[in-house]
Amino acid sequence: MSHMTNGGLLSVAGLRRLRVMTQKELLQLFRDAALMVFFLYSFTGDIYMAASGVSMQLKNAAIATLDGDRSFASRELASRFQPPYFQPAGSVADARQAIRRLDDGDVMAVLDIPPRFQERLQRGEQVSVQLQVDTSNSVLGFLTSSYGAQIVGKYALEAAAQREGLGAAGGIAGPLVEADTRVWYNPNQNDAWFMGISELLTVVTLFSILLPAAAMVREKERGTIEQLMVTPLTSFQILFPKVVAMTLVILAGSAIALFGVLGPLFQLPMRGSLVSFFLITALYVFTTAGLGLLAATVARNLAQVGMLTVVILMPMLLLSGAWTPIEAMPPWMRGLAWISPLHYFLDAAYGILLKGVGMDLLWDSVLAMSVLGVVVFAAGMRRFSRQFG
Amino acid sequence: MAATAIRVEGFTKRYGKRLAADGLALTVQRGEIYGLVGADGAGKSSLMKAVAGVLAHDGGTVEVFGTVIDSERAAEKVKQRIGFLPQGLGLNLYPDLSIEENVDFFGRLRGVPGAELAERKNMLLGMTRLDAFRNRPMRQLSGGMKQKLGLVCTLIHEPELVILDEPTTGVDPVSRRDFWAILGKLLEEKGITALVSTAYLDEADRFHRVSLFHEGKVMGEGTPAELIARVPGTLALFRAEPQADALPRLKAQFPQTEAMGAWLRVFAEGLDAAQARAAVDTCLATSAPASTAIQVTEWFDREPELEDVFVAMLRQRGARLDTSLPADAPAAAPTSTLAIEATGLTRVFGDFRAADAVSFAVPQGEIFGLLGANGAGKTTVIKMLTGILKPSSGSGRVAGADMRSAGLAIKERIGYMSQAFSLYHDLSVVENIRLYAGIYGLDDRRARQRSDWVIGMAGLAGFENDAAGRLPMGLRQRLALGCALVHEPRVLFLDEPTSGVDPIGRRMFWDILFHLSRREGVAILVTTHYMSEAEHCDHLALMFAGRVVADASPEAMKQELVTRAGQLLELRVDRPVPAQNALRDAGFANVALHGRAVHLLSRDADTDRKRLPALLDKAGIAVQSVGLRPLSMEDVFVQRITALEDAGRRSP
Repeated sequence: MSHMTNGGLLSVAGLRRLRVMTQKELLQLFRDAALMVFFLYSFTGDIYMAASGVSMQLKNAAIATLDGDRSFASRELASRFQPPYFQPAGSVADARQAIRRLDDGDVMAVLDIPPRFQERLQRGEQVSVQLQVDTSNSVLGFLTSSYGAQIVGKYALEAAAQREGLGAAGGIAGPLVEADTRVWYNPNQNDAWFMGISELLTVVTLFSILLPAAAMVREKERGTIEQLMVTPLTSFQILFPKVVAMTLVILAGSAIALFGVLGPLFQLPMRGSLVSFFLITALYVFTTAGLGLLAATVARNLAQVGMLTVVILMPMLLLSGAWTPIEAMPPWMRGLAWISPLHYFLDAAYGILLKGVGMDLLWDSVLAMSVLGVVVFAAGMRRFSRQFG
Repeated sequence: MAATAIRVEGFTKRYGKRLAADGLALTVQRGEIYGLVGADGAGKSSLMKAVAGVLAHDGGTVEVFGTVIDSERAAEKVKQRIGFLPQGLGLNLYPDLSIEENVDFFGRLRGVPGAELAERKNMLLGMTRLDAFRNRPMRQLSGGMKQKLGLVCTLIHEPELVILDEPTTGVDPVSRRDFWAILGKLLEEKGITALVSTAYLDEADRFHRVSLFHEGKVMGEGTPAELIARVPGTLALFRAEPQADALPRLKAQFPQTEAMGAWLRVFAEGLDAAQARAAVDTCLATSAPASTAIQVTEWFDREPELEDVFVAMLRQRGARLDTSLPADAPAAAPTSTLAIEATGLTRVFGDFRAADAVSFAVPQGEIFGLLGANGAGKTTVIKMLTGILKPSSGSGRVAGADMRSAGLAIKERIGYMSQAFSLYHDLSVVENIRLYAGIYGLDDRRARQRSDWVIGMAGLAGFENDAAGRLPMGLRQRLALGCALVHEPRVLFLDEPTSGVDPIGRRMFWDILFHLSRREGVAILVTTHYMSEAEHCDHLALMFAGRVVADASPEAMKQELVTRAGQLLELRVDRPVPAQNALRDAGFANVALHGRAVHLLSRDADTDRKRLPALLDKAGIAVQSVGLRPLSMEDVFVQRITALEDAGRRSP
């Protein structure tokens, strides 16, 4: 038995064990053709689609006009709803037709201008126009109504100024406060950057849970876990290589997404240190992989792993602030968000890629992720040892 | 009874590239119990499913009761006349329904009228002795009870043909015997035709006629006796010391030589008993000039068993039995060092004692068999000894280390192979071996050496880069063994290592185990439910309800049964079921049906041989032959366990 050592973790045999187990996980992953296709698609095609297709901006919202006045003024107002925000979609004859076109989803909004609009304007009376908006998509609805209100407001101001004889351009000489905004980090307010990064983080999260959980449950299904338990491997030596292998693969996927999709196709700036970005991603994958392993101790087969992944992933995304700012959540959810590792990862990823900040500002996120990671991994290992030990 | 129930010609079935059935042909007469015998993947299930009309085939004709099954519609026409029990314990039953609800469900599904359903249900549940548990949910039943319930549900609509796919796999020997007895009786009484498959060759004599399956082909068809007669020869059982030297000499001349504990078992093809003895004597005396002559000490000869004949048929078709183990390696010095020592090992789960004060000892170089039904505690004992499970009390030493204090040290010195052949199917042969070499901490040079050794030992040359999942079962099993041996353990644990492997593969596997124990002094602890394999062991421990109830060599156990219950007599008769009843009435307690023959235990074999033909003649039953048969380990097992169960019932 001289060729064997009693194998502490950092002994030659201990390191060799970690190495062969990690190699094994990588081999198995690369041989799973279906999983690899899904993986590559998620880090390329999916991110491409998210970055180019999904937009939070109002673009070409179809708007119809119910013009009860048919005057110069009414046409002037209606003609101000123009691309890129709006797309004129003709006029409607009466209110019923207006509602029907909204119901059909044919138009996003209907501008209803009452009869005697011009006449009353010229007389200096107060006059209302109605904007009926389809707000079944609340974000777009909100944008439509607020842009609409801005256009109408601006027109009203001009009309008032004109009536006072102050010139059509609206150069008012009175006291006015002008809001002058400077847009930082994403000056063109390019949605592709935000959506692309957000999707990348989602995909990283998905695979961080799914890959280790799938690898673990496959061993359970095949019975190989039993075989590993009778070898001199410790629980840590069985579980940790899975996390290492999956982390390597996910880092590679992220690199493909950044340098193959978001960089060249969407000109994502990547202002901060990429080394920090990948280090933090690795830390995040480790943290989340612990959740996956925990899930695998509960699941009995691959189908259950799939379901558990969705169950874990959805609240993580909701609580992360990727879709809504945390500040807008009810207090109890805000509390939960602090234990979602994705919340910290999001801060760090946007910070590095868009703001160019460094570790000096991100240390608290890193610390929080490390603590969460160690706790979750330890819990996973504990459950694993209980189950098989 | 001459009408044909099933006619199959040129049956071919492919799954992707794999040819599962290759031109199969067979004919089943009405009223016959027809057996399909073969290992996993031999094509039995594909054929049975096609006959049951639930699987389309790629070529050939399948005809059931004169209807050619070539379409969904044709299959529907005969389905009402068929009952099909698919493979897998209770897979067609509903775990949350009770016994009675399951039977009712299948009855109503088949449109059995209420009154008839109640009557048949009572009759079938009575015969299978399930009526006491009517309200028990199916998931709480034992394997044997599940299979009996499956049978009841298959028979509830009184089919003319039942198709039972491996009904006894995974069922312990006692329940298995019970199942055959019930099946035989039911079929005989109702005149039902049965197509039954089994992976156990020693069950072939339960059938009227059998087809031997191997790798998608039928190797032979006929009654078990006819098949055995196809390859004439003598089966010899003898002792010759030193056994380890005798084995390779004999193997060179008689390929079908095996070591069975301290005995040698040789199938001398084409020789009668006297010729066989002479040939063996000559072989042992002269074939190795460098070493001394070996004397045969004890000698028994008899007619070969179906497995011997099957293996001979496979050999005629080019199958090879030899492994590349060095035949001239020096025998390990006999030693009294104990490799495994269990002292009062107990494990309690809640209020269930899975293992109860289990004690036994295994010296280095011994093959030790742990037998017992499912749930008897075998796996719990193995788990404690391999350090996966902590004992509640008791102690043990494995490979020189205390199992309570030296967990990792023990794990480095033992090898373990499970039932599932726990290999990574998506890794290649070499990758699997290298993985385990790394896990056991072997350096690269050593890993390469051992990898070469495993490939040679397991006959895997040429398969090195194939994915383990694509290997045939026999090779996969030897690869799993190789992985368990990669670090040269002194103690090897094998948990039901031969499930589903064909006879050739099983023989090669046991050859390797014998080599390891005799030449390299490895202690081997093996659990098995193949009773024929228990005979390979030097020593056996029989477990029942968590306790070791017998601990002796196979020979001693058989001898004990002869003393206690008598010798085994086989009567070939024209009407086996009435014969069985008549013999029971005459006071014989252990009468069992084996196809056209009846087996019983007789305390006074000589007298009974003479008086039984006359006794049966009075009942109008013609006896074709009466003969002594050697007791098998299954006989021993069934007798022992039945006695214990009876004792348990008397004093609960």
